[in-house]
Amino acid sequence: MSPELDPAVRAYLDRMREELSDLPAAEVGEIVDDAGAHVAEVAEEMGDEFSAAALTGRLGTPEAYARELRAAAGYPVLTAAGYPVLTAERPSGTAALAPRFTLWALVACTLVALAVPITRDHDGMELFVLACLVGAVAAGLVFAHRPLVGEVTALPEAVALRDGLRRVAQSDAGRAVAPLRALQPVWWLVRAVVIAALGVLLSGSPVVLLVSLALAALSLVAGVKARTDRRWLWITLPATGIVIGFLLALVGSVLFRSAAPTQVSYNPQPQLPDNVYVFDKDGKPLTDVYLYDENGRPLDSPWYGCGENRGRPDNQYPKPRVSQGENGCEEVRGAPFAVVIPSTAPASTTGSTTTAPTTTTAPPVTSTPPPSSTVTVVPTT
Amino acid sequence: MDTSQLLKGVLDLAVLAVLRKEDGYGYDVLRRLRQGGLGDVGDASVYGTLRRLYNAGLLTSYVVPSEEGPHRKYYSLNEPGRARLLESGRIWRSFARTLDDLVGEEA
Repeated sequence: MSPELDPAVRAYLDRMREELSDLPAAEVGEIVDDAGAHVAEVAEEMGDEFSAAALTGRLGTPEAYARELRAAAGYPVLTAAGYPVLTAERPSGTAALAPRFTLWALVACTLVALAVPITRDHDGMELFVLACLVGAVAAGLVFAHRPLVGEVTALPEAVALRDGLRRVAQSDAGRAVAPLRALQPVWWLVRAVVIAALGVLLSGSPVVLLVSLALAALSLVAGVKARTDRRWLWITLPATGIVIGFLLALVGSVLFRSAAPTQVSYNPQPQLPDNVYVFDKDGKPLTDVYLYDENGRPLDSPWYGCGENRGRPDNQYPKPRVSQGENGCEEVRGAPFAVVIPSTAPASTTGSTTTAPTTTTAPPVTSTPPPSSTVTVVPTT
Repeated sequence: MDTSQLLKGVLDLAVLAVLRKEDGYGYDVLRRLRQGGLGDVGDASVYGTLRRLYNAGLLTSYVVPSEEGPHRKYYSLNEPGRARLLESGRIWRSFARTLDDLVGEEA
């Protein structure tokens, strides 16, 4: 096994890179390449005695190594607190506008990319598009103006962020997951595949498919590049955000769907609309009507009156309407609309004059003996 | 006085001098300095110094592929580097003589 690929060597170089991260990316890349050859050679010299601890014993911590190198190379040196003391003044006031915009655009864009698939909020699309635009402007700025990355990393908030990340990385938990860094290329691949799959899923249009394939390829390249050139972070972080957001949403929906059958139960109560308006044959609205089903059970539905936040279920219809007027909440009785009952039955059109003929035609109907019990009851009463 | 304090000021000169006869890569330069008697020189300091001299345009570099292990970046003196070495060497000798005289009387 080549010592260059040893995880301990890689971890050492990553920490060194972190320590130098306020310097121009190209410079950091060359330094770490040079020092990487050195560290690898030292590791090889050690042979069987090689270990992360032995490496640190021989060369000092990566941070100390980076600081010494930085001092000898005449780069801006770090104070004890870890803040770079730049020979050029640190960006402040209006000079800090561009780097500050660039940094926060990256943060916002990543968070929105993460949140939109999780919330599946369609109103969020506008926010997402806005974040994409802002992120694209920020990425354009960084790529057009290389030194901007250095200015961004020198911002106090960026320094604090980096210190925080470093502390996490050096904590026990951080050390435990450090070997996972070796799996980074796998993640780049997964990310690219998910981005391409999103393009296929979200639209059948070949243009969108081509764009998503291009974006997938870009994210793959950006993953490799971002290791040495921090400008690519403006592509990798939002891409990571949206893919993680999508994967979380996917996991969430799978869990929800698998749990769903246990939640569904047969509900014998028929579904009722919130309110029911009943009219008689003349189209006159009826009030205080009580509804029951075929088993004599009341057809309750909840009603939320003014100042009540818990629904009061009963089967009295129509329920008063609640409207928010100028005088606050009001409960309005009566139907909000009028109806015309269609004149399909000839009896209703002729009115009371037809009552006589219907009664005269009634005897022949009752004279035929139907087996219905209700009819037999009528003559006895 | 700590040697490392002294070294800082003269490391440029030492590195340029080591590269005068033969090109070298970082670790090689480090070893030659140590063999030459500068045991206290720090690894990172040598790499930093090489980087600074390179950025100042006093060195050129080229990469030599290596069969085993990483590729090596060799540094060599260019014309400005040689000129700097001559000038720094002259200043150093004059400075060393002066200091020799001073310290020699006291010690």
